Amino acid sequence: MSELPRFAFLVHPLSGLHRRVIGVRRGYLPMALGADGLGAPAGLICRPVVPGVAEGQVVSVPLLPDQMIGDQVVALEAMKRAVEDLDVNAVGLGSLCAVVAGRGTGLVDALDGRGPPITTGASATAWAAAENTLAVLRARQARTVALIGIGGAVGGAVARRLVGADVRVLAVCKGRAQVKKAARLGAHGVTLEEALAGARVLVGASTNGGLVDPDALSEGTVVVDVALPATLSSGPRPAGVIVLAGEAVTLPDGWRRGFWGWLYHGLAGYGPWQLYACVVEPLVMAVTGRAAPFSLGRQVDLDDLEAFAAGAAELGIRPRLAHGWREIPVGRLGGMDAAPALPGPAT
Amino acid sequence: MAPELHVVDAEVFAKVQHAFAEALGLDDDEVEMDAKVIDDLGAESLDFLDIAFRLERTFDVKIPRGGVEAAARDGLVDGEPYELEGVLTARGLEALREAMPEVPPDEFHEGLKTAEVPTLFRVATFYRLVLHLMAEAEVRAAG
Repeated sequence: MSELPRFAFLVHPLSGLHRRVIGVRRGYLPMALGADGLGAPAGLICRPVVPGVAEGQVVSVPLLPDQMIGDQVVALEAMKRAVEDLDVNAVGLGSLCAVVAGRGTGLVDALDGRGPPITTGASATAWAAAENTLAVLRARQARTVALIGIGGAVGGAVARRLVGADVRVLAVCKGRAQVKKAARLGAHGVTLEEALAGARVLVGASTNGGLVDPDALSEGTVVVDVALPATLSSGPRPAGVIVLAGEAVTLPDGWRRGFWGWLYHGLAGYGPWQLYACVVEPLVMAVTGRAAPFSLGRQVDLDDLEAFAAGAAELGIRPRLAHGWREIPVGRLGGMDAAPALPGPAT
Repeated sequence: MAPELHVVDAEVFAKVQHAFAEALGLDDDEVEMDAKVIDDLGAESLDFLDIAFRLERTFDVKIPRGGVEAAARDGLVDGEPYELEGVLTARGLEALREAMPEVPPDEFHEGLKTAEVPTLFRVATFYRLVLHLMAEAEVRAAG
């Protein structure tokens, strides 16, 4: 057996088509033919490798999103079965695997000390979103952002990191508790309208999709989106509005993935030239020999986030400004703003 | 005017408070009985999963999907529609009002959409649901 550090990334199919593909990959006929998957074992999707550095595997439980959230006990049991016998140094959780059953905490409890360490990907996601946002702000010589989702683990961590970088964060808040939280993090609790009027860079980190009507954006607004579903509702967008995949990162140096890995990149939405940051969190954990998760449960600790950032840099992983799969040149993002305090929407 | 909410079991409520606080990253004392889960505590859609999971583990109960609405639908006579094209019917509103006595009656207004029902949820909604499920479990265990 190889002595290289090993990592795994646990996912679930996003659609019935994905699950059929996984069934074909595993040679498991009922799943390939569209069976509901409830009793099926988890299975390997692909084996990405960073040559000479680490070996990975992407493993899928057989449950669709509706099944993952429909019965969290069933989802937890499926995740436990999938990871308890994995001989790896770290397991990352993708999509709803990182959300159901207490954001990883239920899985850790269920494993009860057996099996590999679990990490949810939130530190990596927050790091990528914050760094991509800072890159946009630098390109625009601006220092104010609007942020949706400060109540969440990722949104809260992004706010703290941006505030630490001397950025003025206008955090959209609902209720007294969120206003207090925003103040604790050094952000300004405001309404959505006030946030959009005060900034032309918007970070979307909420788990409620479609919160912003594109019409409410000023021309030239850049949306750094890590929200699923997407932050903007459907409809035509004002001129110059760019939506960036907030958690996009470059591939680790030498990343090899094989046929099924290429297919996985396509089906998961990463595209050929990038990954979402959560995928590389267990890779960095395994390579740095770290046993403690970078993120688990609700909170993201900034020290953990910085530790992840340092490990990611060693592997050549960098935040990537991308619209979908396509890289956006920094030059396309600049030139709209010159002043720190930005004007409100045109009337 | 909001209905008066009495804490009938302080121990249960303290655990409910803690589950909300853990799920939403708040202090326990920020979770008040009459707080609106979305508008006051800032919960997002996926937070409800976390809240339900923590309550289920804390109290060893199973929260059915769409718990409160399911109870309201159960209160309807066969054939009575709960909603039409996503908007609650008059009988649907009445059944929901009965299922959620902790919510001020004027919030069950005509034209309320099913998608808006979660905005009515109070902490008390979950507290009452937990008490109900615990009582059901006790009956099952005794029977």
